Amino acid sequence: MTQTPPILELRDVDTFYGPVQAHFGLSLRVERGEIVCLLGGNASGKSTTMKIILGLVKPTAGDVLIDGVSVLGLSTPRIVRLGVGTVPEARRLFGAMSVRENLLMGAFTRNDKAAVAADLERVLALFPRVAERIGQQAGTLSGGEQQMVAMARALMARPRIIIMDEPTMGLSPLWVDRVLSLIRDINGEGVSIFMVEQNANLALQIADRGYVLQTGRVVIEAAAADLLVDTRIRDAYLGGAEAA
Amino acid sequence: MTSWFDHTINGLIIGNIYGLLAVGLALIFGVSRLINFAHGSVYVVGAYVGWVAVSVLHTPFPVTLALVVILAALLGIAIERFGIRPLAGAPRIAPLLATIGLSFVLDQTVQILFSPDPRSVPMQLPNWRLEIGGGSIGMLDLLIGGIGITAAGALFAFLKLTKWGWAVRATALDRDAARVVGVDVDQVNRIVFAIAAALGGVGGVLVGMYYNVITPTMGFEATLKGIVAEVVGGVGNVPGAIVGSLLLGIIESYGVALLGTSYRNLFAFLLLIAILVLRPNGLFASRHQLPPEPMTGTFIAPSKPIGLPVPLLAALAAFAIALPLLIDNGYLIQTLTNAWLYALLGLSLTLVAGTSGQVSLGHAALLAIGGYTSALLAADYGFPVWLTIIAGGLMAAGLGTLLVSPAFRLRGHYVSIATLGIGEIVALVILNWESVTHGPIGVAGIPPLEFFGRPLYDTNAIYWVAFAIMLALALLQVRLLSSHLGRTMRAVRDDDVAARSFGISLNRYKGLAFAFGGFVAGISGAFTAHMYSFINHETFNTHISVLALTIAILGGMGNVGGAILGAVALIGLPEVFRIAAEYRILLYGIALLLLVRFRPQGLLGTV
Repeated sequence: MTQTPPILELRDVDTFYGPVQAHFGLSLRVERGEIVCLLGGNASGKSTTMKIILGLVKPTAGDVLIDGVSVLGLSTPRIVRLGVGTVPEARRLFGAMSVRENLLMGAFTRNDKAAVAADLERVLALFPRVAERIGQQAGTLSGGEQQMVAMARALMARPRIIIMDEPTMGLSPLWVDRVLSLIRDINGEGVSIFMVEQNANLALQIADRGYVLQTGRVVIEAAAADLLVDTRIRDAYLGGAEAA
Repeated sequence: MTSWFDHTINGLIIGNIYGLLAVGLALIFGVSRLINFAHGSVYVVGAYVGWVAVSVLHTPFPVTLALVVILAALLGIAIERFGIRPLAGAPRIAPLLATIGLSFVLDQTVQILFSPDPRSVPMQLPNWRLEIGGGSIGMLDLLIGGIGITAAGALFAFLKLTKWGWAVRATALDRDAARVVGVDVDQVNRIVFAIAAALGGVGGVLVGMYYNVITPTMGFEATLKGIVAEVVGGVGNVPGAIVGSLLLGIIESYGVALLGTSYRNLFAFLLLIAILVLRPNGLFASRHQLPPEPMTGTFIAPSKPIGLPVPLLAALAAFAIALPLLIDNGYLIQTLTNAWLYALLGLSLTLVAGTSGQVSLGHAALLAIGGYTSALLAADYGFPVWLTIIAGGLMAAGLGTLLVSPAFRLRGHYVSIATLGIGEIVALVILNWESVTHGPIGVAGIPPLEFFGRPLYDTNAIYWVAFAIMLALALLQVRLLSSHLGRTMRAVRDDDVAARSFGISLNRYKGLAFAFGGFVAGISGAFTAHMYSFINHETFNTHISVLALTIAILGGMGNVGGAILGAVALIGLPEVFRIAAEYRILLYGIALLLLVRFRPQGLLGTV
């Protein structure tokens, strides 16, 4: 039996910004159907990892594979077409466009109009809150609502994996819970999730596995359940003893 | 007196043509955050394509229009591909400089192909007018209005209803977000440049038919008018650009009716400065709209300046002094004298742009202020020339700083636009203030240079005096830059927010840079005026401003030795190789393009 390749894999990636090295032999993978969480403090190279996957930054060494095929050198639109959806950091909606237009921009790479219309209905059913705001300018929504739109927009591309950069950043506790449960719902529909989070405690509760990144190196790789009880993680990211 | 109705119609028609330009500029700014100074050149190319089509190929009007649209769009795509895209990672001011270089190349190519003489574009319409009340509307008026409205309608339909139109809007709102939903932003840029160029080209043909005359030099003014209209409407705002254009057209039309044709541009630039100072986001910026990205990032490529050893510099100076004794070639000596005077201008700009970060596009105005002050004081009031030259320097320092001070609060591209506008205002005031400046006739019979009362006619003597002034001011500038003043100015350039948070008063240091730079440039202008014995409002034109910038970039921004080297290279070499004038400007354009692309730190490196 041939093993199916991971949906996303980074192999020994080195990245430089000018003379500054951001990644040192970074390797990680996301299997089909998994939720994988990348943890790390400021300047650990998390956001650069996102940019590498999307082809926005080119690594100097190593390889990035989607379904076992290298995507190095492909433009961002080509990578998106392979089934990579994104929820960017700070959401990055098209503020002066309507919510509907934002969602349809998510389907930019698709040409199947009828299916896109059907997906719009499906996504709106998943996010009733977004459906209420469909005609409004995206920039006028609250932070939590914008996060919903950003996730809905990512779904519109019918991605097989969604890359999320800090999906709970700047949200109230109530919205954090909603967003995490929606991520679980999306994953339940068969979409793999790769998320970068600082909010380690919550992220690990929905994740299958996690990686800890420190100054550009993976220092820990383990199942999420193990990470939650790992004392090193608790000290560094979960607020140490108080979290217990 | 013709009726206000005619002036309104005339204003709307001109506004319509400005609109065809401004909409393209707004689209380009939207997706690229770039003010495209080559836009007027596309309009020139459009006008000449139209002329060839009508006068040589004898095409009917719809075919003419189609040809212009297609060729202009292709030119727009080429500009984006070869001029803009290679600079994607460069500081934001780099593509702006590249488009200035491109505009020189395109304008001069048209001039070389078609000669500088004005040509008329035969109108292909029946000369029929509709009388209404006291005024009338002609067929061409209706056609221009119709094309403007059709173009605007088609553009809005494209932006609102089509997939790529959405992509254009999304890219303008957030380029990175557009990229991650799968938008090929290069393709968006290509589409936008093609549309903008097509509209600009159509504007060129229509203006040719409206005024019945086209010239290869009309592009620069068109770019400026488009920019004014765009700034009035709010940069990057497409509907705003249309309203701004119509407003500009009507203001100009009424202004001309009240005061005369030579005031036309004055209204445009006063409007520009007023908007930049009072409402930099344009008339229609809504309250919750974020201001356009702060376009900081001056043209400073990080580099280590090449330090030349002092003995070598001393030897070079000695050689320059001894040169007239070594060779007997008056032409060469005159050329080098010119180079020293341009070096002064380069020193001035390299201080203002390279050290305090204000990329000025109106620097020739300082020459004009210095030149006119000295020339008028000496010729009309009989003051001794050595005194008037110093007065010229002081006047350029004071007046220049005063004029540019409203722009101190601006940053990045806006500084360039504002200085350009202020430079044009100076030239227009000189043209129109006849009782003092002699207006369009210029100042003739300016007394010759003198050295303590003895008139200087000898080429070598003039050379030595010019060199001595240049050397003295260059040394002074070196001293200035190594003091705490120079350090503070560089801090302002590199990060004005950080500088301000350390208690540095930005205006004071920007003012000091302009005052010293203005003095140096004013001396150069004054010296030039007495050397030429005749100047008029066109002696110190925008080409010279751009040449000054090219000199400063060639030498390395902020680099004193570089400014001198840049002047010798750009003024001296074309003379030595006897390159004809029209090819010279082409050469400057190409030099600017290549520098921005391949050696932004210049020959000697930035300081």
